[in-house]
Amino acid sequence: MTAPVTLSGLNHWFGTYQALVDINLDIEAGEYVTLLGPSGCGKTTLLSVLGGFINPSEGSVMIGGRDMTWVAPAKRPTTTMFQDYALFPHMSLRENVGFGLRMAGMGRAERNRKADAQLSLVGLADDAEKRPHELSGGQRQRVALARALAVEPDVLLLDEPLGALDLKLRRAMQDELKAIQRHVGTTFVHVTHDQEEAMAIADRIVVMNAGRIEDQGAPARIYRQPASLFAADFMGEMNHIPVQVTEHGVETPFGRLQLPAPKRGAATLCLRPEAIGTTDAQITLGPARVRDAAFFGTHIRAHLVPDAAPDLVLIAHLPPVDMPAPGDVLVISAGADTISVFPKEP
Amino acid sequence: MMRVLPWVYLAVAFVFIYLPVATLVLFSFQDGQLPVPPFNGPSLRWYADILGDSRLTAALINSVLVALGASLIAVTLGFLAAYGLARHVLPGSALIRALLIAPLTVSYLIVGLGLLIVLTQAGLGLSLMTAGIGHVVINLPLAFAIIFAAMGAQQQNAERAARDLGANEAQVILLVTVPMLAPAIGAAFFLSMTFSWDEFIISFLLTRFDVTLPVEIWSMLRSGLSPRLNAIGSLVFLVSIAVVLTLELLVFRKRRL
Repeated sequence: MTAPVTLSGLNHWFGTYQALVDINLDIEAGEYVTLLGPSGCGKTTLLSVLGGFINPSEGSVMIGGRDMTWVAPAKRPTTTMFQDYALFPHMSLRENVGFGLRMAGMGRAERNRKADAQLSLVGLADDAEKRPHELSGGQRQRVALARALAVEPDVLLLDEPLGALDLKLRRAMQDELKAIQRHVGTTFVHVTHDQEEAMAIADRIVVMNAGRIEDQGAPARIYRQPASLFAADFMGEMNHIPVQVTEHGVETPFGRLQLPAPKRGAATLCLRPEAIGTTDAQITLGPARVRDAAFFGTHIRAHLVPDAAPDLVLIAHLPPVDMPAPGDVLVISAGADTISVFPKEP
Repeated sequence: MMRVLPWVYLAVAFVFIYLPVATLVLFSFQDGQLPVPPFNGPSLRWYADILGDSRLTAALINSVLVALGASLIAVTLGFLAAYGLARHVLPGSALIRALLIAPLTVSYLIVGLGLLIVLTQAGLGLSLMTAGIGHVVINLPLAFAIIFAAMGAQQQNAERAARDLGANEAQVILLVTVPMLAPAIGAAFFLSMTFSWDEFIISFLLTRFDVTLPVEIWSMLRSGLSPRLNAIGSLVFLVSIAVVLTLELLVFRKRRL
């Protein structure tokens, strides 16, 4: 089962602290959305509002066209996969997964059958009799997913579900989560602070900061053409080049560029490290001296000091073929479509 | 020498603690009228004597009933108080907690006297029930403290998950909170049982015709020393040991897993 979600005009205060500011968000049925942001940005608060654990100070939550703003968690068509899994330690995996069905009044035989089906969906069919303490972290996480999906919710809420796993397992579980979401078709809303996880998994990323939505859209769009300086920085490493926007174009240390730019005045030009290359591209940055370089496997990360702007240090990800030595001079350039310009923040 | 010393110390300490009990048990097998050396026997005549004594067996059953009833009530009330205070923000909850635990510091004599005055004023006749009320008063703070201390974030998250999956409050408590707190609830129950089983002063003040075992022993003591008392004492000791062992085997061992 699946349903669209509409959040409109959400504001929430914890005492005098405003945790959510004018949140408006439409989520389509069957969409995989991640809420991405640093800790304290309001993403978990927003998830709690969706799940019914927090009643918002203002605004409404519509799920499947019905107003759920004041409906208790037990009565919502949502389930939550909690950060610490919150499995019931005194129950077998089968009883854990069947708990929601038991609460719905389903008979033992049928709910055991359904629970076993859910367990086999997450690859734990042979462990139905085990207790949670006999499992590894990744397995517990699968049980939590099976338990949340067993009641066939319209919307599944995931609160940093991969946070406790090591990197390798996390990457494997990302693929699995995505595959399971495609299989069941349920709307997933997933909270994370890991931008790589968000990009790997989401149909749409919602970047949040200080209780506001900074940007939302497909991962590639947010990464390449972020809507705000915050979103640009949060999605990955970024070079900041101070520039002036005038009537003639964008005045940079590397000359005047004709770029789509905001209002006139001081601005920040953003350039991803991997957009800087030694092959010819539209925008020439000129010769630059290598300060240092380090090998990262997939690329070489180098600090470059351009001759045109000796005060600036650019970070570049160069192809991992020849290692430049400190003091080498490279002629660098960048593609025009990889550059964004944002007004300088006061 | 330094290696032997700790063992000597341990042995002396255990002798100090257990010599009186060992003497009591030994002379319960005395074949004679007085529980003093020299030891004659062993003989089981005093055990046969007390088990044939209907007053004594009645008192023993009374003790068990009072201990069971008072412990059940104390643990139930203690759990509900701990759940309420751990899960809800209440005005003055620190004060409420302090007031719940405070009776632990009041001597049993004062608790007993206070209850005696109140119950007599209220027109309640003294009985096993009134002794039970007294035992609830002294066991409730203990049960509350043990269960409250065991309530942590782990149960709270599981309770939240249960609510999210459609459980109502009663289902959350019965299916999640109580099973997860079973070790603490069991410990509180068995400790209440032993305290209630041994308790003398409150039972003495608050019972009249039907009495508990410690009160019965007291009335027998007034007619002088006898190996009968040793035999009763040994049986009481055996029951306490059995309760403690059950506690150790069922509750604490489980917790270690």
